[in-house]
Amino acid sequence: MDKSTIVCRCEEINIDEIESAINMGAHTFNDIKRLTRCGMGPCQAKFCMNLVRKIISEKTGQSLKDIKPPRMRVPLGVTRMSALASNKASSVASVFGESAEEGETDHEEEL
Amino acid sequence: MKKSYDVIVIGSGVVGSSIAYHLSESKSKEILTIDKDFPLSGTSGSTQAWVWVHNKTPAWYGELNMYSAELYPFLERKIGDVEYKRTGGIAPFFSESDRENALRLAEKQAEVGIKVEVLSRDEVLEKEPALSHNIAGATYSNIDGNVNPFRLIELYVRAARKNGAEFSFYNQVIDISKENGMFKVTTQDGEYFSNQLVLAGGPWSKSMGKLLGVDVPIKQVRGQIIVTEPLSPLLTHTIGGMRQADNGEVLVGYSKEEVGYDRRSTLDIIQDTARMAIDFVPALEKANVVRCFSGIRVMPEDGFPILGEIPGIENGYIAAMHSGITLSPLVGTLMTELLVDGETSIDLERYSLKRFNTIQSIG
Repeated sequence: MDKSTIVCRCEEINIDEIESAINMGAHTFNDIKRLTRCGMGPCQAKFCMNLVRKIISEKTGQSLKDIKPPRMRVPLGVTRMSALASNKASSVASVFGESAEEGETDHEEEL
Repeated sequence: MKKSYDVIVIGSGVVGSSIAYHLSESKSKEILTIDKDFPLSGTSGSTQAWVWVHNKTPAWYGELNMYSAELYPFLERKIGDVEYKRTGGIAPFFSESDRENALRLAEKQAEVGIKVEVLSRDEVLEKEPALSHNIAGATYSNIDGNVNPFRLIELYVRAARKNGAEFSFYNQVIDISKENGMFKVTTQDGEYFSNQLVLAGGPWSKSMGKLLGVDVPIKQVRGQIIVTEPLSPLLTHTIGGMRQADNGEVLVGYSKEEVGYDRRSTLDIIQDTARMAIDFVPALEKANVVRCFSGIRVMPEDGFPILGEIPGIENGYIAAMHSGITLSPLVGTLMTELLVDGETSIDLERYSLKRFNTIQSIG
């Protein structure tokens, strides 16, 4: 198949990009996803899941049944922020609030 | 693959990969980096990836972050486009009574050269019109920004490989011992030897330390994040709690839970995070959420990086910290100085594992 064939429609990722991630050493869907964005779009890998698993199987020689699907997460379909939001005051910490406490360093950029 | 190296780095997250890359620049060392999974499979791949400085306290810790943030433009010239953007950072507060604390923060940070401005509500809204009118003000600094963590770690690894460094992925370290003055690292795939050893295991640092008989006092703190569909440009700054990526998606979250290495998403935190998103930026009410994810922060017991030699283990080194994304350019640079020259351009005494008075058993 032509290497420019699109595998992930949402993020427009083609076969060549998937193979290049595998060549870098990525052997699972989740690991390929973070390198290429394949499966990160609105459909959350519903379309590309098996196409990518098949490429992994062909490139690495693993049996298809051993190749896990990507990790699914809530919400399983796109959902309005307002439908998710709690009506109570949020428990999520304030970045500013932490800097205000002398010597307190528990403020994270990472998550 | 060879069996014997000058340096083995365990862990290929943002910290381990940066150390491997910076070490490889000198081309004086043969380097192997081993990871039990693949780069980005742990903490480094589940982050908003702010490059955040301005309200890290005390000021000496803010200073360390500032030096690292300042290195990003140079790093990008060397390893390629990591989508680093020095957007400026806004940390909003909602009560006028917080202004005094904000002014005190600005004063303290100024002592080490971190420029923090305390903004009025109108000034905040002028900078970032999408923020809520309920905001009372914010602290702001132009040193803050963000980076694409996927690009960053991939390019650290690619650049290190180009310089001759080797990597072994999906290869769990099972045991570490010392034989004839060299480290013997036993992995799932075989045994490797090195003169110097660097532990960069992130959230797994504690169990890694145990292999050397060393207690690494870190906590695992889960954070949950919401990802929206790509939106038209809405936020131009990095906001304490959220940012908009180059592709338009907005990442929101700042939760903290000590639940061990459990990366599930939970509805209660997701609901609170969605509430916070709307409280900060009312227009997000109508945004579609595509996905949630969660990551495990590496939080040393006192909050500060654990960096430098491992006391009692000759030629053994550790780099375990929160804020690895912000700190990685500087940490890679300093650890390279330490491993190559034996001394660092910034004194790391304050960051030594020694400060916890841990007890070692092998040497």
